[in-house]
Amino acid sequence: MANATKLRSLVTPKQMERLRDYVPFIAIGLVILLFWMISGDRFMSVRNWTFIAQQTPVLMLLAFAQLIVITTGSIDISVGSNLAFSAFVAALGMLWFGEFGLILGVFAGGLVGIANGLIISVLKIPSFVTTLAMLIIMRAVVIIVSDGTSIYITGGNISGGTNISSVSAPWLLSLGQFPAIFIIAAVVAVFMWVFYEKTAFGQQLRAVGGNEKVLRLVGTNVTLFKIKVFAAAGLMVGLAACVNLARAGAATPQAGLMIELDAIAAVALGGTPLTGGYGSVVRTIIGALTLTVVRNGLTIAGVPPSWSQVALGVLLIAAIAISLNRSKVDVVK
Amino acid sequence: MNNVDAAPPLLAVENLSKSFGGVHALRSGSFKLNRGEVVAIVGANGAGKSTLIKVIAGAHVPDGGRIVINGSEIPRTEHSVSHMREKGIEVVYQDLALVPNMTAPYNLFLGRIPKKWGIFVDQRKMRKKTREVLDTLNVTTVQDLSQPISSMSGGQQQSIAIGRAIAWGKEIVILDEPTAALGPNETAEVERIVEEVRDRHGTSFILISHNLDQVRRLADRIIVTHHGVTSREFAREEVTSDRLVRAITLGE
Ligand SMILES: Nc1ncnc2c1ncn2[C@@H]1O[C@H](COP(=O)(O)OP(=O)(O)OP(=O)(O)O)[C@@H](O)[C@H]1O
Ligand SMILES: [Mg+2]
Repeated sequence: MANATKLRSLVTPKQMERLRDYVPFIAIGLVILLFWMISGDRFMSVRNWTFIAQQTPVLMLLAFAQLIVITTGSIDISVGSNLAFSAFVAALGMLWFGEFGLILGVFAGGLVGIANGLIISVLKIPSFVTTLAMLIIMRAVVIIVSDGTSIYITGGNISGGTNISSVSAPWLLSLGQFPAIFIIAAVVAVFMWVFYEKTAFGQQLRAVGGNEKVLRLVGTNVTLFKIKVFAAAGLMVGLAACVNLARAGAATPQAGLMIELDAIAAVALGGTPLTGGYGSVVRTIIGALTLTVVRNGLTIAGVPPSWSQVALGVLLIAAIAISLNRSKVDVVK
Repeated sequence: MNNVDAAPPLLAVENLSKSFGGVHALRSGSFKLNRGEVVAIVGANGAGKSTLIKVIAGAHVPDGGRIVINGSEIPRTEHSVSHMREKGIEVVYQDLALVPNMTAPYNLFLGRIPKKWGIFVDQRKMRKKTREVLDTLNVTTVQDLSQPISSMSGGQQQSIAIGRAIAWGKEIVILDEPTAALGPNETAEVERIVEEVRDRHGTSFILISHNLDQVRRLADRIIVTHHGVTSREFAREEVTSDRLVRAITLGE
């Protein structure tokens, strides 16, 4: 008790606020140190970090999509199914129209986003329910369209095996490997930062999350804006789908299963409140990286997958419990 | 046109009505507002005052009645907040209508954010204008313009809301209970601002207030609303507080 008050008087509320902003950075630092201590060079090797750099981008892009939506106070849990769907459309696009058909994957993601946005803002069905329905529907659509099989991206012309759908696109596969995939992720991250921090659209995301009613009162077309928000998130998912296609080398019906939870967790680990109004691109990147590193570190340390999940859940609660400014929260639902 | 006629009033509303489901919030709202005039609207809680001004501000489309600005009627199809804003009508709402997690400049420019190259927020322009507005309002306590306004005091937030209305409301500024939550000093300050802006720019004001002394200090005319009807009108000189209370409570 006495210690707590002493600590309070040592750090001013403003410094405390600053400190909270750094929680994601401190957390990832500690996590890396911890795994380094446990697994030594097996964790801290160039090979392993190359692997991490390859694993993080898809999750990061999905976390960006989630960040866009969460900042407005909504949520999009359809990103995983949308990822699988968009990847399929991208692969089919390449199958039918050649290499440029890949771009159809991005548009497919955007279309699913627009559908989400329309249902939410025109039919006024909450985003959680709408995107839950979309999660179920799009996964089913993928299974129907694919007939349960995958479309493979190959490095050369394969002979025979005519019942396997495959597209020859060595360039795409190389984009999914380390330096290229990392550079793509970095470029998208820079664009995302500019979009989120500097544009009027990015600012309006926060304003809608802060007080949507007021924006309506001053004549802003919030309905249209929300459709655009979900469309933007959908385009980001479509992009993630193309990156995932390059990395995995196949569009599979199971792609992105449950990854929506990782995307939400990454945003939350980045200190963004799910109630909307605030958010940060840099800390969302850190959140996605933390998630990937913890999963990777636990695997290397030999922790069974189920226990890894338990550890991740605990980490999520701990990180948010520390970074939450309770004096600013009056209602918890 | 017959130029012997006097100029039409700046604003004339006739028999405005608005229901929400079964609630007849506003049955018949009629009054006129001349240029440079301060008109007060008084009435009991739930009498329909806020509904009346929200219709005038464009936030609610009326069920019936007419709004005429400078002699031309606002068509129902164009009845929107944006249209009324273009006509120079701004409101300080009862609950201020601010976005708490955004900065003072953002709130001041809410709904009309200036852009650079079509997409970027023009922060510099917003800050400059915010400083100007706060200066004209004599507000010196708001220093850090990068803070969200939720970290400001109620009085400071009030100045942002009033500053926004005065900065953009070239013709009519509507104040819905602007001093209800303020202390005596801040109340006097708001009253000073109203008189100064009216004298300097010829802006017209519609003032909703439960403070009858304040109403008699500021308003040229006083409109009484009773059960959704603008039932009586008084000139400032002819009315006593007792008379107003009778009109408000009994509608007579
Ligand atoms: N958006 C709405 N939906 C439903 N009912 C409403 C709405 N706005 C106002 N009302 C109802 O209309 C009536 C008039 O409300 P209004 O806010 O205009 O009163 P007021 O005169 O401003 O009262 P106060 O002095 O308390 O602010 C009230 O019964 C209120 O409950
Ligand atoms: Mg009211």
